[in-house]
Amino acid sequence: MKTTTIKKYWALLTISWENGLVYRMSVFMWRLRRFLAAVMALTIWSTIYTSAAPEATTFGYAQSDMISYIFLISILQSLVLATALNGLAQDVYSGAISNQLLKPLSLTVYLIMQDLADKLKNASALLFEIIALFLIFKPVVHLPDLPTLGIFIVWTLAAIVLNFCISLLFGSLGFWSPETWAPRFLFYTLLQFTAGQLFPLDVLPTIFQKVMYATPFPYLSFVQTQLFLQKLTLSEIQLHSMVLLGWVAVLAFLAQGIWKRGLRDYDAAGR
Amino acid sequence: MHSYTKYWHVWKTIAINALQTTFVNRGSNVFFFIGKALRLAFMLLFLWMLRNTVKTIGGYTSDEMVVFFLVYQFIDTVPQILYRGVYLFSNLVRTGEFDFMLLRPINPLFGALTGKPDINDALFLIPSTALSLWIISQLSLTITTASVALFSILMLNSIILATALHILVLVVGILTTEVDGVIWMYRDVSRMAQFPVSIYFEPLRSLLYFIVPVGIMVTIPAEVLLGKHSLYVVLFSCLFSGGFMFLSLKLWNWSLTKYQSASS
Repeated sequence: MKTTTIKKYWALLTISWENGLVYRMSVFMWRLRRFLAAVMALTIWSTIYTSAAPEATTFGYAQSDMISYIFLISILQSLVLATALNGLAQDVYSGAISNQLLKPLSLTVYLIMQDLADKLKNASALLFEIIALFLIFKPVVHLPDLPTLGIFIVWTLAAIVLNFCISLLFGSLGFWSPETWAPRFLFYTLLQFTAGQLFPLDVLPTIFQKVMYATPFPYLSFVQTQLFLQKLTLSEIQLHSMVLLGWVAVLAFLAQGIWKRGLRDYDAAGR
Repeated sequence: MHSYTKYWHVWKTIAINALQTTFVNRGSNVFFFIGKALRLAFMLLFLWMLRNTVKTIGGYTSDEMVVFFLVYQFIDTVPQILYRGVYLFSNLVRTGEFDFMLLRPINPLFGALTGKPDINDALFLIPSTALSLWIISQLSLTITTASVALFSILMLNSIILATALHILVLVVGILTTEVDGVIWMYRDVSRMAQFPVSIYFEPLRSLLYFIVPVGIMVTIPAEVLLGKHSLYVVLFSCLFSGGFMFLSLKLWNWSLTKYQSASS
């Protein structure tokens, strides 16, 4: 890649970062909301275990395991699920993306930089939240061995790409319909439970688990957390690696195809 | 009396318009309805699993925990039906359209609060309330006629508190032209009352009782229904709500003097 190209995208990243911090109160509110969601889940599980005998296991999890699980998944979801592309469909429908299409920049790279800046912003705030949650709930988190940690990082990056592809797919709705919020609402409602923030998915009845694993939802943070907590066997790691990469490939292919088709139909309405 | 008739007529017209919009956007509303139903179903599934696994949680039985959630579900939905206009308020302030509300011969607070009734939530409230009542009838609880009567009073009290909180959001909207963060923060904080507020640590617990009083809105009514509180707590809740509403209205009147009518 040429130096000028790198400089161009670096500038794009810094501009997106600065744009993201224009409304600082909104950023603060958003992080506080995520923090409170984590506090709620951690408090509920702490209370459940405090009410039972200290050595008791609930749903097959000991207290320390469950608290570690909720702690880790809250962090992971803050990174993976945070996206700057929530308003993409509206930008498409209103014709606002015409500005980007006219510039000598790849629209995909532009969106990647926007999303990356948003993740960096969330990650920075997350550092303080991790410290606060750690001090309040004192989770016992054991670092996995180096190879597992390596796979965990790869899976997390894959989950970020997966979420990016899903955001692109939702964004593409704007090419054909002004009603873009309702499908997103349904998706995020499903995600709220199926990505495992309030409870781990393996506490669900088997039939529900089978349905969940037929969707990309568990691959957005649940399997990563299970891997970090070393709850997966080697064969499960192999299987989940293939399924995760499969979902990334399928959704990336779909997103690319639909955006190509959408841009063909795009008539910059309202511009 | 004439004034009440006028406001009823205005609200009815706005509600009929919202109903027509709902039927125009049928596809979207089906998605919203399914989403809300799934959210309810998932939470009930979680509580059902807890009920089958754990006997007590923070001093409450698993059945009582279900009641807390169902009371939350009801109290969270009613203000959304009535006060959806609050979510759109910042745009009115930013564009200066709020000027038109100030010029009309109706109270601008009424217009700002009830500007867009959420018909979807109204439609969802019917089956969800019926389901809640059926679930409560199936649980091992001791509910007396007196506790139901006190609970009904506290339900009205909760709606007053929710109204006061929505007025405060409008105040923030006038002062900062931004309500999205605040209203969603309120929604997330109130979500914490899906479980009894007393399980949270201090100072969060006190905050949930007295600053953003979702504890008084949800936890206390549910506890009263379960016969866990005396009449004094009911009286305290009503007095607190009265004070909170008084403060909200004072702040609203003060914020109107700060409205800059920018962009108009």
